Amino acid sequence: MPLDETDVRLRERLVAGDEDALAEAYDRWAALVYSLAVRITNDHNTAQDVTQDVFVRLWEQPQKFDPSRGGLRTWLCMLARGRALDAVRRDQARARYHALSAAQRVEHADVDEAIIWETEAKIVREAVRALPEPQRVAVDLAYRHGHTYREVARELNIPEGTAKSRLRSALAALANHLEAEGIIDR
Amino acid sequence: MEAHAVISELLGAWALDACDDAEMASVEKHLLDCPACAAQARRLRAAASWLSVDRVQPAPAPLRQMTLARARAVRPPVPIASLVESYAGQVTTLARLLDSISTDDWHRAEPHHGDVAGVVAHLASNDGMLADDLGLSVPAGDPWRRQAEFLVRALADESDLDRPVRMAGRGEPVRRPLRDALVQRAFETWIHVDDVASAVGQPEQTPPPEQVRRIADLAVRLLPAALRAHDVRVPGRTGCLVLTGPAGGEWSVALDEPGTGSTVAFIAKVDAVDFARLVANRRSPETVDYQVSGDPDLAARVLQVAATLGCD
Repeated sequence: MPLDETDVRLRERLVAGDEDALAEAYDRWAALVYSLAVRITNDHNTAQDVTQDVFVRLWEQPQKFDPSRGGLRTWLCMLARGRALDAVRRDQARARYHALSAAQRVEHADVDEAIIWETEAKIVREAVRALPEPQRVAVDLAYRHGHTYREVARELNIPEGTAKSRLRSALAALANHLEAEGIIDR
Repeated sequence: MEAHAVISELLGAWALDACDDAEMASVEKHLLDCPACAAQARRLRAAASWLSVDRVQPAPAPLRQMTLARARAVRPPVPIASLVESYAGQVTTLARLLDSISTDDWHRAEPHHGDVAGVVAHLASNDGMLADDLGLSVPAGDPWRRQAEFLVRALADESDLDRPVRMAGRGEPVRRPLRDALVQRAFETWIHVDDVASAVGQPEQTPPPEQVRRIADLAVRLLPAALRAHDVRVPGRTGCLVLTGPAGGEWSVALDEPGTGSTVAFIAKVDAVDFARLVANRRSPETVDYQVSGDPDLAARVLQVAATLGCD
């Protein structure tokens, strides 16, 4: 996969201490990071904290982002997801989630209007919706609730091998869909 | 083959950080030897990063200012002017040092450029390349100082830091953004301050941490091309440089075509200022203190190539 030159330049400017580069990164990806954090924490205030943490982290240690290992958007989103899960664990908000059934977890939380990244969001929604229900539930437990595949297996009462293959098949199908729509590079 | 099948099944869980540490490590180890799994892993990770992006809403407007303010407090930004200031600071330091030495001192031996006068002439010639590229006609006179001070004044009005200019170095000059050339001018001037200082028996100087950090980052960015030129190529691997001290941080160095390395072949820990001096070829892998975990020979080769990135 070729390096993303835009990411490389942005990283160079961040390392050089160019504040405008941080503002550009924020303007480009804050909505994605924030929305993702809302979906995981289910709490707007916590999501704001997570968003701040992610961009402050990018500013503080830009060299931690290695463009040869993937794009900056991927890096920011995975960092945001990790921070959001930490926040959920910290707030012990998990109890609330445990009260919900696995099926309910994949329902979309109510959010305000979605006015940006609408094309991408729509494609992601379609791609997720197209997954077979068992795969969608498994991936949601792992991604949004931070379960390991073993925990997914226990929770769904399925063999560990099945949990692993559901996660893999789900992501592969998602990747196919997103590649076909040009959202991720082939 | 069996390992491949086992790991391949784990890739989905790996992409979601949903396996235990030992499994994460064994996957990453396998990705080193298996380009097919490495490509698949990257693909699944990219797909995973889009999950939860099924409804996107703008972040609350005040969050932008709050985030930028917190970032500013954690690490003060470097305004464009300070790249020029770093260079101007080194120019002033060298000018003062040259003022303080005697006429005889100008003929003191210096190992890289013959004598002190040779060091200054060499620096003037590299500075002149930047002056040319910026289209400046430098007034005649003291070859180094007038030109350097003229450059500093002209750069204060320069707003396009992305315009490509020639960088000093061995062989055919490469073109890089002016931003990088400014870091290099400050770097080279500092190193020659040290050259002159040691020729006349004065102590070495250490620039501010932000400046050292920019030098280290520039060097790490120039390194992959230099490694390829020296035939140091290890498929699928990267090296990790952990620079210590106030200018410290972690940098990864591609040991293969950019974008393909994924597994760390070594971690080399070295003081950031020592690393900058090594890049200038004022230290060598033999004379600099560093610790390696992983492949020590490979780390030494990478540091040897880093020592060719200077401006002599």
